Amino acid sequence: MLTIGLFLAISFLVSLAGLTALIWAVSTDQFSFGQKQARIIFIEGEEGHLDDPTAGSGSRDLERASIDRTTAWPVSLFLGAAVVWLVIGSFFGLIASLKLHLPDWLDENAVLTFGRMRTLHLTMVIYGWLSLGGIGTATWITPRIFHSPLRSPRFATWGAIIWNAGLIAGCVAIATGWTDGEEWLEIPWQIDGLLALGGGLAVVPVLRTAFGRSVDHIYVSGWYFLAALCWFPALFIIANIPGLFVGAEQATVNWWFAHNVLGLWLTPLGLGAAYYFIPKIIGKPVYSYSLSLIGFWALALFYSQVGIHHLIGGPVPTWVVTLSVVQSVMMVVPVLAVAINQHVVVASNLWAFRASLPLRFISLGAMMYTLASVEGSLEALRSINTVTHFTQFTIAHAHLGAYGFASFILFGSIYYMMPRITGRAWPWPGLITVHFWSVLAGFAVYFVALTIGGLLQGEAMLDAGRPFAQSVILLKPYLEARSIGGAVMTLGHILLAVNVAGILARSAADARKGETA
Amino acid sequence: MSEHPLADEAFEPYEPRRPVPLPVYWMAIALALWGAVTLWNDSTAQSSGVGQRLAEAGDMTRRHSAAGADLFAQRCATCHQANGAGVAGAVPPLQGSRFLGANPQLVVQILLHGINGPIAVGGDRFDGHMPAFGSVLDDGQIARLVTHLRATWGNGGEVEAAFVKAQRQATRERHASWNGGADLVSLDPAVGPQPAFLSAPPAPSDSVAMALARGGKAGGWACSACHGAAGEGRSGVPRLAGLPADYIAQALLAFSTGTRPSDIMGPIARQLDGPERVGLGRLYATMASASRARPELDGDLARGATLALQGDDRRDVPSCFSCHGPSGFGVAPIVPAIAAQQPAYTAGRLAALGRHGKDDAGAAVMPSVAARLSDADRRAVADYLATLPPSPAIDTDTKDAR
Repeated sequence: MLTIGLFLAISFLVSLAGLTALIWAVSTDQFSFGQKQARIIFIEGEEGHLDDPTAGSGSRDLERASIDRTTAWPVSLFLGAAVVWLVIGSFFGLIASLKLHLPDWLDENAVLTFGRMRTLHLTMVIYGWLSLGGIGTATWITPRIFHSPLRSPRFATWGAIIWNAGLIAGCVAIATGWTDGEEWLEIPWQIDGLLALGGGLAVVPVLRTAFGRSVDHIYVSGWYFLAALCWFPALFIIANIPGLFVGAEQATVNWWFAHNVLGLWLTPLGLGAAYYFIPKIIGKPVYSYSLSLIGFWALALFYSQVGIHHLIGGPVPTWVVTLSVVQSVMMVVPVLAVAINQHVVVASNLWAFRASLPLRFISLGAMMYTLASVEGSLEALRSINTVTHFTQFTIAHAHLGAYGFASFILFGSIYYMMPRITGRAWPWPGLITVHFWSVLAGFAVYFVALTIGGLLQGEAMLDAGRPFAQSVILLKPYLEARSIGGAVMTLGHILLAVNVAGILARSAADARKGETA
Repeated sequence: MSEHPLADEAFEPYEPRRPVPLPVYWMAIALALWGAVTLWNDSTAQSSGVGQRLAEAGDMTRRHSAAGADLFAQRCATCHQANGAGVAGAVPPLQGSRFLGANPQLVVQILLHGINGPIAVGGDRFDGHMPAFGSVLDDGQIARLVTHLRATWGNGGEVEAAFVKAQRQATRERHASWNGGADLVSLDPAVGPQPAFLSAPPAPSDSVAMALARGGKAGGWACSACHGAAGEGRSGVPRLAGLPADYIAQALLAFSTGTRPSDIMGPIARQLDGPERVGLGRLYATMASASRARPELDGDLARGATLALQGDDRRDVPSCFSCHGPSGFGVAPIVPAIAAQQPAYTAGRLAALGRHGKDDAGAAVMPSVAARLSDADRRAVADYLATLPPSPAIDTDTKDAR
């Protein structure tokens, strides 16, 4: 008797066997990728040196300078816009957080209500800050690892402009109460076309550069970037087709999408950047090629079904949820592979961790990826989900992923890239240190408060002997701590924006001087 | 940093050929096995879930199609006794009762609406308090039960479900019980002379309490908004109709002082003064309404019946009915009716009592019993109580008049 469970268990094992065979084939050169090809991008005798533009270190060579020139303008546009969205989005997040313990504040106008503040915060930081920042970083790194200039950079520039126009229109729509009504998909589908077009345009130069590369081997960052840029448009377009999914199906597709934005979009963008910058700054290779393969392919295999664990207890078939729980737990495999690959090189070069602020941001971000993923695997288990579901614990977890991991890596990447892009040093290096400590301290307060508060809230809600209001009242001090942490984080974001504005202004002044001279 | 000369920008990251550490393999294999076992278990969970649902459906069918004799044993024998002899001075006998020999319409109407008033059977007078089964038995069940009663103690003759349906339709406007024998004699004079029914004048506070129940106080919530126009309750919201007046007044007082914490009832109860609490208690105590409760918590009904009728000695849990009355109709002035109560409320209230250690009056008897019930037992007993007919509303004034 072939039940669904037996069928799932067998196909699960067969897919694992297939994955193992693939990784074995690639790692033992069955596809004729050899040690020689892997090392083609490495020039002997140049290991072990710190490369950090914020510390004024690092020399420049002509090949990279010419590659960086092709990416300078579109990447500046992506990163500049990302930082603007970050600052605005942080303020909306802060307002939403304050409203949770000051419910009567700013309640006289529909535009200023919690539902819209929170939604604007999410839309701005996901589609503005993290997506634009991630595309910018991928656009900057990809030509470097392919030793080839960026093809058709105008496509990227237009992509950035159209994406931003769509996002502004989407935020205005949300603020006026016009939304699709699904979490993470609030931007009306009539406007989503602009984001899809902008994203599509931004992908073209990266793909063309990949096809026109001058090296055979694709470094692991390249796999992540190319996969992310192909996965996201598919996710975004399928989830936004109007009228295709209804009812419980719609909820299923909704969470399939929302969780995949984290796992198949922000995760590969962040990991790709970490895989490039950590060894790049330290000057030492990552631990193992085979681990890179396991990390990438296991992510590709397991992640896409993870999101349905948000619907535990919901009206979807049990086997769908169980499959999602199993895949969520299987995510431990790629996370472990990535953790060994990235943390070992940092742990054996702690001098660089102390010396370089960008590395500190990126390496901490990579550690928080490990933490967030393991926490997520545990949270997907029904026994733990019973307590944490519908509590602030989930919010803390989401921020550990999107902020602790993705944003920290993006902060470090921006601090590394901008001096290379503009050819100038950071105008106020001291602000970078203040930024680092303020977001670290702010986020620590944020995460610890919501994690503890969420667990207490979950326990209170499960207790039939306590009225519901108790679970709300006991949260108040934790929500206040969250607002304090969030305010300190926002302060750090303003410092980042000041520094980015400063370096771009000086670079523009240089360019004018060059023209007049 | 001096021992680390500034880096060469030409360094590009790469991945050396190192084997994967063994623990990674072990962990991956262990997780894969766990995943396969979990998915396999899920399939058995699914098939056992289907089996459970089939068994429940079978139980339901058996209950619905139970023979008249079984229905008699479940529903009637507790009071009227298995041999139909009744209890002298308390419960009328069925043996040789003129009511069973009369027009079958009479028995059907008594079962549908119950009796609340004095009645004469076989020359003896009884304080008639017969529950209404109209909301817990369907037409077919009543027809089989009446057929069985008439075949055993009456003059035979089968009663069809269609007949019961017509009877139910004819009196669908009736919400109160039959007012004793005096009322029933009008249906069929063959039952013989019956004592007069003394109706009490309506209590003066009723109209005030009614306005509160229907419209709330000072723009606040009305009782009927959640508890229903006939006080029948709905999932999680308790049935109020037929609870003792003093019990309701005391609960409202406990809500207002916070002795019984509730986010919803607290602010409402604080608006009420003493006379209003008493008035509302009397209003709902005298309200007769059909049961809207149905089992909804997946409780084990057989286990629930055991707990309600016999208790569980091993857990030191006494029978519910030993305090709450032989049919769970409550014992005035303070022990509430539990029959036909909304199961989600019953189970939640038991959990809350077990946790707090004190009931509304500050007593610890019920809380200590509730604390010994497991979650499954709470659901079982709550679902079983939901299958019982509602308590006949006790008209306090009528009682005083006797």
